[in-house]
Amino acid sequence: MNFKHKYLFLLPGFLVLLGILIFPIGFTVRLSLSSWDSFFPGLDFIGLENYTRLFTDDPRFWEAFQRLSFMSVITVFLQYTIGFALAHMVWKEIKFQRFFRVLFLIPMMTTPVIMTVIWKTVFHESLGPVNDFFSLFGVTPLWLSSEALSKVTVIIVEVWQWTPFMFLLLLAGLLSLPKEPFLAASIDGAGPIRKFVYVTFPLMAPISIGAIIIRLIEASKIMDTVYVLTSGGPGTSSETSSFYIFIKGLREFQFGYSAALSLTYLIIMIISLTIIAKMLVKLMIRS
Amino acid sequence: MAQIKLQNIAHSYNPNSVDSKYALKPFDMTWVDGGRYAILGPSGCGKSTMLNIMSGIVKPSEGRLLFDGVDVTDETTSDRNIAQVFQFPVIYGTMTVHDNLAFPLVCRGYDKSFIESKVNEVAEALSLEGLLSQSARKLTADQKQLISLGRGLVRDNVAAILMDEPLTVIDPDLKFRLRRKLKEINQKYQSTLIYVTHDQNEAMTFAENIIVMDDGEIVQVGSPAELFDRPRTTFVGYFIGAPAMNLFECDVVDSNSIKFGSEKISTETDLKSVNGENIKLGIRAEYVQLMKSSAKNTVQAKVESVDDWGNHKLISANFEGNIIKVKVKREVEVPAENVYLRFPTNNCCIYENEILVP
Repeated sequence: MNFKHKYLFLLPGFLVLLGILIFPIGFTVRLSLSSWDSFFPGLDFIGLENYTRLFTDDPRFWEAFQRLSFMSVITVFLQYTIGFALAHMVWKEIKFQRFFRVLFLIPMMTTPVIMTVIWKTVFHESLGPVNDFFSLFGVTPLWLSSEALSKVTVIIVEVWQWTPFMFLLLLAGLLSLPKEPFLAASIDGAGPIRKFVYVTFPLMAPISIGAIIIRLIEASKIMDTVYVLTSGGPGTSSETSSFYIFIKGLREFQFGYSAALSLTYLIIMIISLTIIAKMLVKLMIRS
Repeated sequence: MAQIKLQNIAHSYNPNSVDSKYALKPFDMTWVDGGRYAILGPSGCGKSTMLNIMSGIVKPSEGRLLFDGVDVTDETTSDRNIAQVFQFPVIYGTMTVHDNLAFPLVCRGYDKSFIESKVNEVAEALSLEGLLSQSARKLTADQKQLISLGRGLVRDNVAAILMDEPLTVIDPDLKFRLRRKLKEINQKYQSTLIYVTHDQNEAMTFAENIIVMDDGEIVQVGSPAELFDRPRTTFVGYFIGAPAMNLFECDVVDSNSIKFGSEKISTETDLKSVNGENIKLGIRAEYVQLMKSSAKNTVQAKVESVDDWGNHKLISANFEGNIIKVKVKREVEVPAENVYLRFPTNNCCIYENEILVP
């Protein structure tokens, strides 16, 4: 039989794939080998010059990347812990269960950029309510303009914004768990702590890994919060990779160089997330 | 070990609603210490509810539960000293087999040497001694189910081991071995075993006493032979045995015979007190005899089909519109057209309004 006409049916899907995935990636690869910027726009060919510059002469990118790793690991860890605790709390029959379940989801329903503007007002060093409170104790921390605290502020806002997502995934996971292991543990005489350690947590491991990976991917793209809250400042102290790439590409219009940054960043993310996923599986399931 | 008594127990899952329906209608029941019971019934008949009431997962809406005369109705599952094995094996995947077996004792704070000796004893009884140091996650389904059972056996004060269709996920030939193992365990530990199933073969081969349930009620309690020979209701006759019991409408003629179609059939049942409507004659396909010629208690029927059941043949014969099923050995020659079928007097059960006339 001749199945040549099958390609005709594959065509629409292939065209979409080509338009939104293959072409942009291919173009970015080509772009990263050019020196396209606002002075000399055009696809010239400069070989690996952009990459050489990135690996030998751009500590700012690597610092941003380190910062990003630190911040995303901390935020996801906090989101997971808080999200799991909240989900565990409203999992069992409690009063106003429905109310709490919706309440915990509200941050996720808001627009991140707008909420970040509100947070910026809340943390404002001379006008915000947070420092009103702290001034009672005679201190006024510089939430947005001190090198150490600006990172903390970004982490707080990120955790507030995205813990609900973790909460939702983990609650769905908890609700889908079979009843029997918990009954068996009751019969065996296990208390709440043993039940959590030996039943709930191991059963939730696959869901936890999924949730953590999803959030890590999301967190490593962190951009809007930084942009609105601190604009990467003070100096570059809260700048993350994506924000740095954004500056290079869309503020300084070094398209060629930012394409090289993006590709390097993408490859590092793919490799590191794969390793992290493998490690999590080993840690949580096989232990 | 303990004698378990259910006093006037009943349960409804929505007791406060207007049309509250009983999942389990009020009943009394005593489980003898060391007995081997099977609860048999179709899906949704209340068998799991009864089990869950005994283990404390479900609190009955009415009635009391006594262990050796002590009221435990309000006690929690862990205080009741009940072991329960579920349909799907429950193991603690992060632990070794040894730790799984030790877990109920560790939770109850026994000392190490006692736990060691208990775990080794139970592992030996269940032939798991070679696997003790392995991770429980990697075992096969039947080994996991043995561990679930083992966790019940390590506690020596367990009042009863309740099993809710425990062999559903096990391969047929392993099922057979596990059932034998259960019997051995029952003899060794003298523990009461209560076994819920909807598979009648499983119930028949396993239990000394079978409790047949239907629609939230206990229909009959008896040995496998009693259930087979003298089903107390037409439901039991229909539910137990393959094929189901032959049941035909008939009329009472005198104190020990009935009229089935145009034929008169004698029975050993005393029919003096029977005068109602809705009389049925019940006879097992295994007990109907194939005859060469007409005799007493015999009907002449037309063969409609013969099914091969491997070691048996199942004849379906039509007698005046009633289909009579007859189970015969495979060597038996079945006439192509007409057969004479004899109903032995002692095997004929008569039902009045679906209940056996004694």
